[in-house]
Amino acid sequence: MNRKNKIASIQLAVLRVLVYAIIIFLCFLCLFFFYLLIINASRTNNQLQRGFTLIPGGNFLRNFKNAFTDSSIQIPRGMVNSFIVAAGSAVCTTYFSALTAYGIYVYNFKLKKLAYTFIIAVMMIPTQVSAVGFVQLAYKYGLNNKLWVLIAPSIAAPAVFFYMYQYLKATLPLDIVEASRIDGSSEFVTFNRIVLPIMKPAIAVQMIFSFVAAWNNYFLPALLLTKSEKKTVPIMIAQLRSADYSKFDMGKVYMFILLAILPVIVVYVFLSKSIIKGVTSGSVKG
Amino acid sequence: MAEVRLKDVVKIYPQLEKDKKNKKKTNLEVTEKGVVAVQQFNIDIKDKEFIVLVGPSGCGKSTTLRMIAGLEEITEGELYIDGELMNAVAPKDRDIAMVFQSYALYPHMTVYENMAYSLKIKHLPKDEIRRKVEEAADILDIRKYLDRKPKALSGGQRQRVAIGRAIVRNPKVLLMDEPLSNLDAKLRNQMRAELLKLQNRIQTTIVYVTHDQVEAMTLGDRIVVMKDGYIQQIGTPQEVFNHPANTFVAGFIGTPQMNFFEGELVREGDTYSVRYKDYVVKLSDNKAKRLAENNVESQSVTFGVRPDQLVVGEEGLNAEVEVSEMMGTSSHLHAKLDGKDVVVIVPNKGDETTDMTNIKLSYAGNMVHVFSKEDGHNLEIGK
Repeated sequence: MNRKNKIASIQLAVLRVLVYAIIIFLCFLCLFFFYLLIINASRTNNQLQRGFTLIPGGNFLRNFKNAFTDSSIQIPRGMVNSFIVAAGSAVCTTYFSALTAYGIYVYNFKLKKLAYTFIIAVMMIPTQVSAVGFVQLAYKYGLNNKLWVLIAPSIAAPAVFFYMYQYLKATLPLDIVEASRIDGSSEFVTFNRIVLPIMKPAIAVQMIFSFVAAWNNYFLPALLLTKSEKKTVPIMIAQLRSADYSKFDMGKVYMFILLAILPVIVVYVFLSKSIIKGVTSGSVKG
Repeated sequence: MAEVRLKDVVKIYPQLEKDKKNKKKTNLEVTEKGVVAVQQFNIDIKDKEFIVLVGPSGCGKSTTLRMIAGLEEITEGELYIDGELMNAVAPKDRDIAMVFQSYALYPHMTVYENMAYSLKIKHLPKDEIRRKVEEAADILDIRKYLDRKPKALSGGQRQRVAIGRAIVRNPKVLLMDEPLSNLDAKLRNQMRAELLKLQNRIQTTIVYVTHDQVEAMTLGDRIVVMKDGYIQQIGTPQEVFNHPANTFVAGFIGTPQMNFFEGELVREGDTYSVRYKDYVVKLSDNKAKRLAENNVESQSVTFGVRPDQLVVGEEGLNAEVEVSEMMGTSSHLHAKLDGKDVVVIVPNKGDETTDMTNIKLSYAGNMVHVFSKEDGHNLEIGK
């Protein structure tokens, strides 16, 4: 009996070591490049030409200052533009998707099923396909170089709608809506004051996701934004690629990239808890 | 504080195509327009009256309530509250309040905010809202929970909050949809008594839906018994219990259920008697008088006797006891009489034990209810 137990405990220990080793290796794969980016952002151009190292250099603040004041690539301007687009998209996407999901979930009307199926079908069409028409439309009406043109389409977000719909189905009893109607509130007040607060966790998650997606979006902004003062961060980063490397201060380039991903990192670090909560919510009825 | 009048109210649900094909089984009438959930509902509810709609599930009682609330459209007929036609008025403008079976409290608001919500929407001044909420909270004894969220309350407390939310704005009509059915038995009894007290205090018209006939009997000023969308009987608890309109009402109201027998009604001049096999019981004068008024002739009938009116004695019908349930002050005997199940209630006589296997059952002439064998209506009342 004792022997058996001993063998089992050794097996368990070995297994644990193995599992942790794999997890650590995966973490290393994920994080190493970020680490390298931060290291490189702290080194001078000369140091960078000599190859890579794991020890940070002392040029971090200098690179930061250079990157921030660069005249050809106005990264502060880009970050403001990106923030406007990302925040606007996040708010529009979540609010209007929640509103649509609420409408389809709560009201009974003819063609309700068709409306639902149609929205889900739109989900299957890739952005790249519909972008052709959208870009043409935008140019025809002279709407290129306007930031709101990038925000407006986010109102229609089928995937977010689907998520919201599932969430409503799991968490909102119709009795609550009816109670609110009888309490004397109009349909909009019911949505804004009763339903939205109940949907808070779902909205938080989708806001994070759509913020990050809009921040990182390159495709549409690249097609629509040509004026340098309207450009968003991903376009600026892309410009770096076409530049002549030999003339460029690489420390500054790494600093650009670091600034570009900074908001995304901040969002994940501070909100990871609610992201996980939101991903799992709805699976267990509580 | 209002009268409610329903005139020929009908609710028809359009039938889904797939249900049409499958010929889905339903007790409800199906017309070309769809399934008729409520048929020709007529009632005048007086001011401050406590009306209870009772019936088995699917009888249309909740639908009727929801039509009064405005949550369901009225297909045909008219609904008046305080003399005003309400058919097309939105729920928020009807000045009614409703208590839901699931309580339907707003989960993200505290008890106070839940109760204040309707007043806030009306833009009442803050101090008035506070006064009214605290007043209602005192009536229901929930003042100490005012800053808790519904999650942190027990079922009984949530129920009180739901009632509080309804009474706080002094509605014209208070609607309750099976408010006690989510509570455990003990709490339900307690809340039932409190609802009666509440009705006395707030003095408002109440329409109450339940499937529990005990609740209906104890709470209602008048009871509306429904089945398959049709009103079976409207009356005070006494009327419904003592003079059930048909076999359905007789069987539905009262526990254990009334025992039914197939027998003969014999008329001799102005006297009537009921014969079951060789056992003949003369009906009381009052009953005979009502039967005579309706010109009821001798015929085969279904007659009913309540379990507590069957007497175990020396003579009468032979029955064989199968099971005896000890209920405390009395025992329920489940017996077979000519192959049919019969329930008899016998009082508990303490230490005295008698052999209760083969018994003889008799009944008095004033306790027999005679129903038509064809459609089950009470022959004393007429159609």
